[in-house]
Amino acid sequence: MYDVVIIGKGPAGLSAALYTVRANLNTLIIGKNDSALLKTEKIENYFGFAEPVRGEDLLKAGEQQAVRLGARIVETEVISVVKNDFFEIMTNDEVFLGKALILATGQPQKKINIQGIDEFEGKGVSYCSTCDGFFYNNLKVGVLGFKDYAVHEAMELTAFTKDITIYTNGSKLDISNKYKDESAGFKVNEKPIERLSGTEFLQNIHFKDSTSESIDGIFVAYGSASSIDFARKLGILTDNNSILVDKSQQTNLDGLFAAGDCTGGFKQVSTAVGQGALAGRKAIEYIRSL
Amino acid sequence: MNVKVYSTPTCPWCSMAKKYLEEKNVTYEDLDVSRNKDAASDMVNKSGQRGVPVIDIDGNIIVGFDKDRIDSLI
Repeated sequence: MYDVVIIGKGPAGLSAALYTVRANLNTLIIGKNDSALLKTEKIENYFGFAEPVRGEDLLKAGEQQAVRLGARIVETEVISVVKNDFFEIMTNDEVFLGKALILATGQPQKKINIQGIDEFEGKGVSYCSTCDGFFYNNLKVGVLGFKDYAVHEAMELTAFTKDITIYTNGSKLDISNKYKDESAGFKVNEKPIERLSGTEFLQNIHFKDSTSESIDGIFVAYGSASSIDFARKLGILTDNNSILVDKSQQTNLDGLFAAGDCTGGFKQVSTAVGQGALAGRKAIEYIRSL
Repeated sequence: MNVKVYSTPTCPWCSMAKKYLEEKNVTYEDLDVSRNKDAASDMVNKSGQRGVPVIDIDGNIIVGFDKDRIDSLI
């Protein structure tokens, strides 16, 4: 059990960890090497560097700093987050428990450009299998995605129906060893999708090769799970693909904070670091109040 | 005040919404739409969608756990 689990090891997540570890809180950072900052060759507007600094170097130094102070960093992908008495964070290979959780997963992925996906949200398109899966008892459902996250969602849906297809929308399935066997149990359709259609509720999925299939429900689990996906499942309020937080980075769920690009606003290293510090401080207050 | 919560046992948002109402001392009728088909169909008719939770406060329909809207209606 960790006091604080931070998802994301960019500037916001690492900055939060500096505060929580220095407050003697047992801190775990889970993240992949996918920070947008890795691609930045020159940062010239971050305080304290007389010469331009590479994003990769800044991140590496931040990781070393957090580890030196006592944080543990695990490089893996988070598949799902559940809140019971504590936060349960499931990764590709392990489940971690945390008393407080800070989401700092960076800029959310762009929305999937499939005609009808917004129109049928709640009317056949769902982002939460554990919430809405039962509506599709013994019906034909699809999971939109191509990574472990999609297989995980498909596995959750087997409690309700056996007729499950993973729609990759033109991508190849990209599954880790742990999920390879499980994915073999599902139908996979790799055709690019053109649009979803129906009358009141979703009825059909149409592909770019002019074919179509009937479908009762589509569960979206595209790419890697992002803060927005966790937010949707946990009941965190979002606005326009950003997590809503107050001035101290608190979400609407006790013990859950968010910082950096996933909260929208001015997407800079300096703001991410500042928000991470605030989230870290608020997490400390929260743990001490338990 | 007449409050109904349409929920499922596995939905984290539903538990949070119910806990929140309890904290506010709001009495509500809990309708498990995974077992009660009439309630499920009622919920879809009222909210026009299939996502849970749906909270009905005196005929005002809230889709999802929206604290601000709950606060404004209780």
